[in-house]
Amino acid sequence: MHINYWNELTRNNFGKLGLAMLCLVLFIALFAPFLASYDPDEPSHSILMSPSFEHWLGTNDIGQDIWSRLLCGAKNTLLVALGVGVFTTLLSTVIGASAALVGGLYDRILMRLIDALIVIPAFIVIILVAAYVLPNVWTLIFLISVLTWQGGARLVRAQTLSLKERMSVYAARTFGANKRYIIIRHIIPNLSPILFAIFVHSATRGVFMEAGLAFLGIADISTVSWGLMMHHALRFYYLDVWKWWLIPTGLALSVTIMALVFIGHALETAMDPRLWEMEQEDWQ
Amino acid sequence: MGDGAGRLAMIELRELEVMYGKRRVLHGINLTLKRGESLSIVGESGGGKTTLGLSIIGLVEGTVRGEILFDGKNLVALAEKEWKAIRWNRIAMVFQNVENALNPLYTVLDQVSEPIVVHKLGDRNEATRRAGELLNRVNLPEGRFYAYPHQLSGGEKQRVLIAMALANDPDLIIMDEPTTALDALTKVELINLMHTVCKERELTILLLTHDFYAASTLSDRMAVLYAGTIVEFGSTPALLSNPRHPYTRGLLRCYPSMTTTKDLQGIKGRIEFFDVGCPFHPRCTQSIGICREKAPRLEKNDGRFIACHRGGIIPLLELRDLSKSFDSLKAVDSIDLTLYEGETLALVGESGSGKTTTAKLIMGIFEATEGRIYLEGKQILGRDKSFYQRVQMIFQNPMESLSHRLSVLEAVREPLDVQKLGNREQRESMVRQILDEVELPSSETFLNKYPHQLSQGEAQRVGIARALILNPKLLIADEPTSALDASTQAKVVKLLLNLQEKRGISMLFITHNLALARKISDRLAVMLNGIIVEEGPSNEIVSSPLHPYTEDLLKAAPTLSSRVPTVPERTSERNDGTGCPYANRCNKVTEVCFNEKQRLSSLSTHKVACMLCTATD
Repeated sequence: MHINYWNELTRNNFGKLGLAMLCLVLFIALFAPFLASYDPDEPSHSILMSPSFEHWLGTNDIGQDIWSRLLCGAKNTLLVALGVGVFTTLLSTVIGASAALVGGLYDRILMRLIDALIVIPAFIVIILVAAYVLPNVWTLIFLISVLTWQGGARLVRAQTLSLKERMSVYAARTFGANKRYIIIRHIIPNLSPILFAIFVHSATRGVFMEAGLAFLGIADISTVSWGLMMHHALRFYYLDVWKWWLIPTGLALSVTIMALVFIGHALETAMDPRLWEMEQEDWQ
Repeated sequence: MGDGAGRLAMIELRELEVMYGKRRVLHGINLTLKRGESLSIVGESGGGKTTLGLSIIGLVEGTVRGEILFDGKNLVALAEKEWKAIRWNRIAMVFQNVENALNPLYTVLDQVSEPIVVHKLGDRNEATRRAGELLNRVNLPEGRFYAYPHQLSGGEKQRVLIAMALANDPDLIIMDEPTTALDALTKVELINLMHTVCKERELTILLLTHDFYAASTLSDRMAVLYAGTIVEFGSTPALLSNPRHPYTRGLLRCYPSMTTTKDLQGIKGRIEFFDVGCPFHPRCTQSIGICREKAPRLEKNDGRFIACHRGGIIPLLELRDLSKSFDSLKAVDSIDLTLYEGETLALVGESGSGKTTTAKLIMGIFEATEGRIYLEGKQILGRDKSFYQRVQMIFQNPMESLSHRLSVLEAVREPLDVQKLGNREQRESMVRQILDEVELPSSETFLNKYPHQLSQGEAQRVGIARALILNPKLLIADEPTSALDASTQAKVVKLLLNLQEKRGISMLFITHNLALARKISDRLAVMLNGIIVEEGPSNEIVSSPLHPYTEDLLKAAPTLSSRVPTVPERTSERNDGTGCPYANRCNKVTEVCFNEKQRLSSLSTHKVACMLCTATD
């Protein structure tokens, strides 16, 4: 089957919803400077204010406009999503595909390494690392990626092993094709659906982990992060501020994660022919 | 023929050449025929058979060069007056075309007695009496003696012509297409008649025919004449069972007989006369540069004479002691196979017998554990791009073997892309051309289709087109039709046979379907547990299988009868792999079968690996 991502996404209701939500977050992230009425980092004397015409979602403890910070936080979240997505996928592909294609000892060593790494809880390690270096967004992307590529690499390896044995690949070899030609023309294009899935999956996990860590206070204070906002808001839970400080932030985070999950789900349906057939039957 | 030109030679042709104006119809014919021998000259019409016959009896209208020695006397130099003593008295001819050979104004009895009277061998009464005897001998009913030719049937006229030829008791009788245009039973009667008559009179026979049936029954030796040249010459059974010149094989493939099982195939092109080079080269599928430049001499080769620069049909692919083991499993166990140019060898066996592994070993997808592979006589050590230009493969499941990401155009073009042949436009036009050849549309819409938009049959044709685009000499077809329904299978098989006729492709056809294999293959090899248990001409294997496994396979082959098939029973649970792979299912099994592995050994044209067959013989 030939997968047209756009068609598959727009045909599926979950896909459509996820895509719409992601577009909204993307729009906010891109146009935050124009949408925000205040500089998100600029403190003021009006602190812990309730929502008003001037401050739609009130202000925080140092007088920053919560609405503006919420808008700017989208950028940080999407950056983490994209960064972790790209970096993890890249690591998974290079390691997984090379293990499958080279095979032998190289493959065995890598597989044992993955077995070892997969039991290490990424979250705890990052907390430990953060105890020494308070990670900025790039360090965080790097840390999450190098600690979570194992699952993806296994998937890519398995898929490459099966692709390598495909009749069409054998056929290409019987035309006299060399390894390079086969990787570029046959393996990589056929890996793309699974790479896309790995990308979406790790992006989701990236967002989740970043928010979680920031919520625990592990984040560079200077970044505008939704997790960090929730971390701060929670300190004032005894006031009414959670209504306009905590809830909208939590919602924004949920929307982003749901968008990615929905997209991932829609693509999975498209890629698994059995699920796809079931859906076809439902339609008829 | 060089040897045998001793005193016994009744007729000897030396460098015989006949020209009709500027057209050379016979070209350096050398033939010797001893007393009592029978020789058939076979070939297509227009090949010069009749001219050869007429030149021997001195009736040819063209210019004759060379020598025709009859009992040592050169007939070419003979004056018409001297001919009288020889023609019809010593050399007689049964003319072709029964309709015109008889004079419509005389009764048949008169016509048969005429040569006796003319040659003054007796008076009219004596002549009539002898003519009556002869007509009796050829089994013409007495009531028909006074009939006029137009009152006789074709078979009866042929009998009269034979009687006429026998009238003066000749030594050599030339029969030109004596059985053409006769129905089967009449033909059999006449062949039988000619056989007995010739035997009892110890006649020397020169039979000119395109009918292999007549040739095989009436002649001991056979010469194949093509465009005025003898291309193959040898004993009749040897030539028929194992033709070595591409033309002989082509002729046999065109000839419908109950012995052959393969579908009829033609010879590409048509007969043409050439002054330089091998006359057959434009129609030959294995011709090389020299074939165009120099005419090959008829040379002795393995008990017969062949005029071919390549020494007859060449072995294209040879597998010698080829083995492949996967850990402890011997998937292919030192097999020997030879595939000749332009032929189909069917490799038949159940799944898991090692057929596909053999194909993959040839293609270099698997590395052989042991053994050698030769292509056109050269051992294959490493496979480079030029190897894959000559050897291509069609895969079992067309949908799987085509990448779903490539359109028809891209898929068929892929071999050219890999081999870097031609530029973009050239590649595309080659794709269109090859699609035409496999009877697929070459329209823009079809070129842009993806495999899942194609039917199974279309997809397999795309697979075939892709394998053919490099113009390979050898095609390995691994169950190419097992995924197709019967009607699509029929079309694909027909297509493959046509391509073989046109391009001379050799095919290794791997199948589990014996019924299909016998229709498309010249030779069959039956494989079981990695070894070849039987190998030989398809017709022989099908009609008289030797190995019990082949027998069971034949019993299991599909028929249209309503009989419920019986399942061969497992005769033993023992099978430790040391003995015959069929020992535990064979109903003729002996103790030895379990202990000793049999090697393929030759029995005439047929090879078998079964101790029962080799022991009884």
